[in-house]
Amino acid sequence: MPQHIKRLVSAFAVVIILFLVMQQVLTPASFGKLGHYRADAIPENEMKTLHYAGSAVCTNCHEEMQTDKALGFHAQLQCEACHGPGLKHALYADKFKDKELPDSLKLHKPDQRKDCALCHEINAARIKIVFDTINNTMIHQVNTLKHNPVNKRTNEKVICIDCHNPHQP
Amino acid sequence: MTQHLQHLYEVLSKVDGYVYPNEIELNWSILIVLYPYITGLVAGAFILASLERIFKLHVLRPTYGIALLTALSFMLVATMPLVSHLGKPFRAYEIMVTPHLSSAMAIFGFVYLWYLMVVLLLEIWFDYRCDMIIWAGETTGVKRFLYRAFSLWTTDISPKAVALDNKLGYIVTIIGVPSAFLLHGYVGFIFGSIKANPWWSTVLMPVIFLFSAIVSGIALVMLVYNVITRIRKVKIDMPCLDAIASYLFYILLIDFVLEGLDQIHRIYEAEESFDVLHNLVFGRLFFTMFIMQGLIGTVAPLLTLGTLQFYKPKEKIRKVIYMVIPALILVGIFFMRWNVVIGGQLFSKSFYGYTDFKIGLIGTEGYLMAAFWLIVPFAILSFLLWLFPPWKKKDEEHEVQNA
Amino acid sequence: MTQTRSKVTRRNFFKAGSIIVGGIAVASALTPFDGVLFATERPKGKGEWYGIGIDINKCIGCGKCANACKLENNVPKDPFYFRSWVEQYTIKNDGTILVESPNGGIDGFKQSVPDADIFKSFFVPKMCNHCAKSPCVQVCPVGATFETPEGIVLVDENYCIGCRYCVQACPYGCRFINPEKGTAEKCTLCIHRLEKGKNPACFEMCPTEARIYGDLNDPDSKINYFLKNHTCMVIKPNLNTGSKLFYNALSPEVR
Ligand code: HEC
Ligand code: HEC
Ligand code: HEC
Ligand code: HEC
Repeated sequence: MPQHIKRLVSAFAVVIILFLVMQQVLTPASFGKLGHYRADAIPENEMKTLHYAGSAVCTNCHEEMQTDKALGFHAQLQCEACHGPGLKHALYADKFKDKELPDSLKLHKPDQRKDCALCHEINAARIKIVFDTINNTMIHQVNTLKHNPVNKRTNEKVICIDCHNPHQP
Repeated sequence: MTQHLQHLYEVLSKVDGYVYPNEIELNWSILIVLYPYITGLVAGAFILASLERIFKLHVLRPTYGIALLTALSFMLVATMPLVSHLGKPFRAYEIMVTPHLSSAMAIFGFVYLWYLMVVLLLEIWFDYRCDMIIWAGETTGVKRFLYRAFSLWTTDISPKAVALDNKLGYIVTIIGVPSAFLLHGYVGFIFGSIKANPWWSTVLMPVIFLFSAIVSGIALVMLVYNVITRIRKVKIDMPCLDAIASYLFYILLIDFVLEGLDQIHRIYEAEESFDVLHNLVFGRLFFTMFIMQGLIGTVAPLLTLGTLQFYKPKEKIRKVIYMVIPALILVGIFFMRWNVVIGGQLFSKSFYGYTDFKIGLIGTEGYLMAAFWLIVPFAILSFLLWLFPPWKKKDEEHEVQNA
Repeated sequence: MTQTRSKVTRRNFFKAGSIIVGGIAVASALTPFDGVLFATERPKGKGEWYGIGIDINKCIGCGKCANACKLENNVPKDPFYFRSWVEQYTIKNDGTILVESPNGGIDGFKQSVPDADIFKSFFVPKMCNHCAKSPCVQVCPVGATFETPEGIVLVDENYCIGCRYCVQACPYGCRFINPEKGTAEKCTLCIHRLEKGKNPACFEMCPTEARIYGDLNDPDSKINYFLKNHTCMVIKPNLNTGSKLFYNALSPEVR
């Protein structure tokens, strides 16, 4: 082989070897264990923090609400659907029994008309048919702006929960 | 961050119909328009060079070296727009380390390397090695060092070695032509293989990209050659330009026919996505598609170059034409890429609406960044022309004396 | 979650990989294509293989799922980033179709067409389809998005390069680039909740049990019950993505 071709080939060989070495060094350890990805990514995804506690948890401390709710039309509703994510609250609220809860542990109280309207506002797409044959319920709809906006006796503005108990409507 | 969001809210107010909420933001912006544009210029310039070498079209000789160096300088920045638009640019190496073989983009890394290392660099090396050794003897300082280093400190300029260089260079060119086809066909495949997007997903996409690439590359070399001769104050080789112009005409014609075929096929089949695409083309894409790409970039050059095929005006007029037409074609092909990349994201994959597109001047996705990546190749090209002037090559001077 | 994660050496993996890829290619060429059953059948293995069912008839469009998803997964609040959202389809008497999703449905829907003009109207909750043949997994250049052995499509945010190719490839618009992280993001079926034995947030918060999920490999699972007792359909079956999100009462207008 002529000298310059030798040089060229060795230059290429050096580049290729360098590349292969880099490839070995840079490939993450768990790559390829389960497929063409980092197997460690699964536990990493599983380690994310939770925010919602799930319904069963609330019962531990708020039994009366749970029993109230179970009897009413909102039986299927999760507490957190209205009150927002409450895992932190469920973990730490105990320490503040009979005391004012710190803001970070307070939960949202959806008492405005628009909060109930999310589910109950009249809309052509909301089914009016029986959808749960077991409980035989349907989603009842009202025009939240016109349905009892004021107290007829005092003529004051009222919100939904003045008349309906949100936990047992 | 907040600026980005502000911008998105502005776009939100311009949304027409319904788009999926995640589609309001355009994911591939002007940098991804540049990426196929620049790779296309590389492939086209190289193919022009190989016409001379493989098919022995010696009229094209004056542009051979320029075409190769142009291809190299654009090749060196071809991936930069892609890398600089990444959300995590410093992880770009992962494409080479753990390439996912079913991904068109991952394989592009290797196609790119193959083309850069095995085709372009080798061909140029074989072409210039002998000259670099001679030049190294004539110069001093950094230039001398660069020549030495680039020739890998070889010294053999015996006729036998030079003949071997020529032979190997020829082989590399032969490998190079399909590689250039592969390179740019592959870029087309990156878009053509997205089945979710009816504007991109067509089998013709790689072929269309390829032919438009050849068109744009030839136009660029023509322009660069014009400019260089003017700067060097030497005589323009008119037969060469005439020949290039006629190749340009035929390839532009093929490109036009292919794109027409694609659209006709779309219109005739009129699939589910037809309405949304129809409104897109006559609405948000009208200007870039019909005016910039169609009229300025295709029809005007086709008519002018077509006329030249049977009627040759005076040399002075032809010189002007050979300056203006390549420029128009380059603009047209840029907007062809624009229409593919941006157009493909302006409509919703739900086929129920359109989002809007707006880019700023600054920022990683702005006009300035794009202009930067378009200027850098020319800077590299000037450097390469300074270091490796094709007109100072030994065989070139020889030819001039012979002529 | 119980699963069998066997340790395969790299070479074996490539061998197996090429056999599987080739096998799938051959199999998909030979077996007649069925949009629904296609993804329910797992090629091999006995572990969990998740599928999702959504009953459009039950959805009341409260947007609690979309809201819960954002809160549970720290998704940016702006209306351009959703892992899960709700659309309202309104088909008018004159045949035109109106689709709306103001802020993904989180703030509720307002009926924008008078009753008299409406032919029919319904809500469609959208989320990642966790496709068995995900186009997004196919195009990821570095293997930063993948399907777990349980059939959940995940993103490896510590490996994603943010090239946005997957966003382009998803036919359902279920992916976005997180503006702070610069990496792709999508529904994980709340794998962090599943792992602790809890339901994913959107399933948990649904007031009408319009959405369910379960193990497609288990013949007695909720999802199999759902599939057997309803006329189910996936969105865009023509794209052959192997979607594992099955809708009951899906209208063909939904795309
Ligand atoms: C560990 C016991 C505990 C658990 C579990 C718990 N809470 Fe509480 N909660 C409390 C205490 C203590 C208070 C504050 C004192 C009070 O008013 O009873 C409270 C108050 C509240 C309030 C009123 C807050 C206010 O601002 O007045 C709401 C709403 C509430 N809880 C909802 C929930 C929900 C929903 C759950 C389930 C996710 C839940 N809680 C789980 C202990 C608990
Ligand atoms: C329909 C939505 C809704 C659901 C479901 C719901 N709540 Fe409430 N809850 C409310 C509203 C609205 C208030 C505010 C009532 C008020 O201010 O008088 C409230 C208030 C409360 C309070 C504070 C009571 C007080 O007297 O201050 C507690 C504790 C509470 N909820 C617990 C629960 C628990 C536990 C559940 C689940 C079993 C639940 N809620 C489910 C809407 C809801
Ligand atoms: C997350 C959705 C949701 C929210 C929020 C919600 N509801 Fe309900 N509500 C339901 C469902 C589901 C039912 C059971 C179906 C039915 O009976 O309509 C129901 C039933 C009712 C009923 C019984 C209707 C009947 O006579 O059968 C009343 C009254 C009611 N809700 C009032 C309220 C009020 C007041 C609020 C606001 C505090 C509220 N709801 C918030 C979902 C919701
Ligand atoms: C002034 C008291 C009052 C207020 C305030 C009020 N309601 Fe009612 N609501 C009633 C009474 C009384 C009924 C039962 C008689 C009826 O059907 O009109 C009722 C019935 C309902 C029903 C069942 C309708 C049906 O078709 O059977 C729903 C749902 C409802 N309310 C929701 C709401 C919501 C949501 C709000 C807040 C926007 C609200 N209500 C505010 C008194 C009230």
